[in-house]
Amino acid sequence: MSAVLLRHTLTAGRWRLLAVAVGIATWGFLLPVVYATFGAEIRRVVEGGYLSDLLDALTAIGGGSVFTLDGSIALSFVHPISIALVAVFAIGHPIAALAGERQRGTLEVLLARPISRRRVYVTALAATFLFVAVVMAANLGGVVAGATLFDVADELRMDRLLVVWANAVLLFTTLGALALAASASFHRVVPALGIVLAFTIASYAVELLGALWPDIAGWRPWSFFHYFQPAEIMAGDASPGDAVVLAGITAAAVAFGLWIFPRRDLAAPS
Amino acid sequence: MNAIETIGLSKDYPRGAALGRFGPGWRDPIRALAEVTLEVRPGEIFGFLGPNGAGKSTCIRLLLGFLHPSAGAARVLGLDTETDGVAIRGRVGYLPGGIALYDAMTGAALLDYLGAFYRRAPVLRARLTDGLELAAADLARPVREYSRGMRQKLGIVQALQHDPELAILDEPSEGLDPLMQRAFYEILDELRAAGRTVFLSSHILSEVERVCDRVAIVRRGRLVALEEIGALLARRRRTVEMRVDGPPPSLAGVPGVTDVVVVDGHVRCQLEGDIRPFLAAIAGSSVTDLTIEPARLEDAFLEFYANGADRAAANGAANDADAAAGGHDADRTEP
Repeated sequence: MSAVLLRHTLTAGRWRLLAVAVGIATWGFLLPVVYATFGAEIRRVVEGGYLSDLLDALTAIGGGSVFTLDGSIALSFVHPISIALVAVFAIGHPIAALAGERQRGTLEVLLARPISRRRVYVTALAATFLFVAVVMAANLGGVVAGATLFDVADELRMDRLLVVWANAVLLFTTLGALALAASASFHRVVPALGIVLAFTIASYAVELLGALWPDIAGWRPWSFFHYFQPAEIMAGDASPGDAVVLAGITAAAVAFGLWIFPRRDLAAPS
Repeated sequence: MNAIETIGLSKDYPRGAALGRFGPGWRDPIRALAEVTLEVRPGEIFGFLGPNGAGKSTCIRLLLGFLHPSAGAARVLGLDTETDGVAIRGRVGYLPGGIALYDAMTGAALLDYLGAFYRRAPVLRARLTDGLELAAADLARPVREYSRGMRQKLGIVQALQHDPELAILDEPSEGLDPLMQRAFYEILDELRAAGRTVFLSSHILSEVERVCDRVAIVRRGRLVALEEIGALLARRRRTVEMRVDGPPPSLAGVPGVTDVVVVDGHVRCQLEGDIRPFLAAIAGSSVTDLTIEPARLEDAFLEFYANGADRAAANGAANDADAAAGGHDADRTEP
């Protein structure tokens, strides 16, 4: 890893990081607030009427809901809004770090220095991990702040919350590792980004639909999001196997990227 | 030990275009560089000439390890480009053609950042920024506000600020005005005086003629000439015109003199090689006016692109050269 490159990367991304962290912290703050303020009423309406099936739909991904504090915490991590915010760094940063720099022509300025492509790759991966960890920590901070301000902090289990954070960081680092492998495989941003986004959306859809539709429930293990179940973790049912699967996929993606990137020809940018 | 050595260096690209993959000859790769063998000696300024698309940048990218050779090998400062890329780049300064920079950074921050990767201190930065008239106020501005010429100056500084043993410069004076070109040539002269080696790719022929010791000409990926500039020019045929008062000199049989035409005291001929036999032959005549066209690299260059599309490409390069040379031509002295 290159300290010079890592420092440059973190410095260059600091304002974007601040904006995303504030956004996701606000999102994390709101969900315990909604739970504390309207959760019980919404649950009564949903369970007492024709909307009971909606409960299943709302809790389909990661057990997320606003009916319990654990559910609202889960929702803060797996809702499409938070995933979109984290994807700025989990997907956007790795794609910009290699394919983006390649397309702009700045990669050859960097690689003209005495630094190997593998070090560039590992540094980009480390930066992705740090960005994701900070963004997820901001989410966590928002949740704790919301729960504290609206007097439901006594329901929080901080030890389990930290496991949720670690699992979320691992999930998005896995996505980041896949994005970086795609980024190392293409000269331009669009194909790399397109493939990773399609893969992520399909994975999310499989987990969501598999939870609602028994006929495709068997597909759920093919989704990354299946290996992040925050509500189960908050309930004390964390599965170490989830972390093993995500770590295995990450390792495979990193191994592929470290193999392909030094072997690629970097012709003049067109 | 040579600064650069290539032996049969070749690079093939697979056909990239979708239709090209299925069209005639789809199995054949595109040969960007074919069996180039050359040596660049330590301490010389070496010109690498050719029109756009001839293979200059491909060769440079192979030397820096950005590309992997399809055949052959290259050594830079005695190190193998395939296995010692990091060590090579630690001792080399590189200016890419049409350099892209980080627009959000200031010029000074960019130089600090790019210089921080080297173990050598940026000992030449002050000299380079002074010579290229990059003031502190300029360097404090974001790169996005820079003109093309200023970006090129910054590119030159980042390539040379750590006083590399070998500078590889791809079209270095592109975008520089004539005054800055002259300042850049002075920097090259200083590098040569300090014993540094410069590998300079260009299609600006007057520039190569002005600064280089030796030149290689590449055509469709193949090396077609590798010579001292002086030797290349000495072999050029030049037009001689003179006016004589009285009988014209007898030039038949004088070594190097051909195509002699005499009309009313006006003598015109072609002269090639050593000038002394010609001067001896006209010594007894009453010459009132004499013009010997200067030997120009441009003519030598065009000779290697004698046919069709190649010639058009080379002419384009030569025309670019004339346009880019600008006021620099004023430096040339007529013999």
